[in-house]
Amino acid sequence: FNPVKATPEGGISDIVEKSIKDAQETCAGDPVSGECVAAWDEVEELSAAASHARDKKKAGGSDPLEEYCKDNPETDECRTYDN
Amino acid sequence: MAVSTIYSTQSLNSTHFLTSSSSSSTSKHVFFYRRNQSQTNRRFNTTIITCAQQQTIVIGLAADSGCGKSTFMRRLTSVFGGAAEPPRGGNPDSNTLISDTTTVICLDDYHSLDRTGRKEKGVTALDPRANDFDLMYEQVKALKSGVAVEKPIYNHVTGLLDAPELIQPPKILVIEGLHPMFDERVRSLLDFSIYLDISNEVKFAWKIQRDMAERGHSLESIKASIEARKPDFDAFIDPQKQYADAVIEVLPTQLIPDDNEGKVLRVRLIMKEGVKYFSPVYLFDEGSTISWIPCGRKLTCSYPGIKFNYEPDSYFDNEVSILEMDGQFDRLDELIYVESHLSNLSSKFYGEVTQQMLKHADFPGSNNGTGLFQTIVGLKIRDLYEQLIANKATAPAETAKA
Repeated sequence: FNPVKATPEGGISDIVEKSIKDAQETCAGDPVSGECVAAWDEVEELSAAASHARDKKKAGGSDPLEEYCKDNPETDECRTYDN
Repeated sequence: MAVSTIYSTQSLNSTHFLTSSSSSSTSKHVFFYRRNQSQTNRRFNTTIITCAQQQTIVIGLAADSGCGKSTFMRRLTSVFGGAAEPPRGGNPDSNTLISDTTTVICLDDYHSLDRTGRKEKGVTALDPRANDFDLMYEQVKALKSGVAVEKPIYNHVTGLLDAPELIQPPKILVIEGLHPMFDERVRSLLDFSIYLDISNEVKFAWKIQRDMAERGHSLESIKASIEARKPDFDAFIDPQKQYADAVIEVLPTQLIPDDNEGKVLRVRLIMKEGVKYFSPVYLFDEGSTISWIPCGRKLTCSYPGIKFNYEPDSYFDNEVSILEMDGQFDRLDELIYVESHLSNLSSKFYGEVTQQMLKHADFPGSNNGTGLFQTIVGLKIRDLYEQLIANKATAPAETAKA
């Protein structure tokens, strides 16, 4: 089976950029061919993946204190008691 | 007394091993193991059979990519309580989300062709030929009857089909993606179905917001991508809305002339009549046609204001009720004023819709009809689930009596 591959370093942005260039080239010859349509579909899939990754990253680092407290719950600034 | 059913329509080449768990009386596992040589991606096909008495209800959510499926999913799981998270310790690129009551699986995992495969054949992911509906049907059917399955993972970053992950039957299974209502067999398994219908103008505006910051993208490339996928979208995705029990339609506002920003929206919740355990929401008086502008002394609205509409109508030859909201809220807590005039919300207490919306004030759509109607549909699904479970619990007792 396909081994689990980690997300390539350097970011998905590079892949999106490349896929757009590919799609533009593929469609230059024949704008309604299956290859052209599939190439733009790939662009959409990658753009969606990039946007999801951005959202996830934003949500993760939105609050520096919360991030810190996840790792250090026993420190003065992080301790919370229910009663 | 548990009743076991074994699901496998594909022939089993070899029974690899057969076990039954020792202590548990309600859950027994039988493993069938099969290697499929004909498939080039050399994916493992493993079916695990569990006999359990727990009942799973299945919800289908159809929408195009980039149309807010994930926001809807987060609102839905929040109604049931608890946060949805990817399976622990598994593939980091898994598309599955699991919470205490709900498991959300992404139907892209049932792609039969990976990214290179689709490119070679010249088909999009929207094309039925790129999807394995046989496997989708088998696995959803298995999960519905309480059987765990090994589901493939489609990796959106690499475009490859990764090694499968084990999915346990949840209380509520949500299948979301492009084709939940495409295949007749899969459709027959759904207890409730939703279609998110985003108009072309709004889709374009949303994709600009989403992609313009991305390198390489320009207005032309966003437009080209939408245009290229449109024929397949119209042929294979859009027709599914006729089967949906609820459709959320998102259109440009009519309150601002020639608006194309896509920030102010006119959202319509189209609810099918006569669906068992689902009674549509109404405004003031059920079955009447009502137009309501709540802005005034009790609700502060700035330009362009808010306008509600409620009417009975027909949609693909089905009788439906349509609730519409155009405009946006300035202050979310004033939503309680609107909520108090809606009936049949299936909320557990007065103000639950507003409270759910306030809980996720940072989600996209929280100040307009998309968030409001997604939350309402979430409550309707909870109600449907509770009625279904209550009914299933009484049904065996009745047959025993007779």
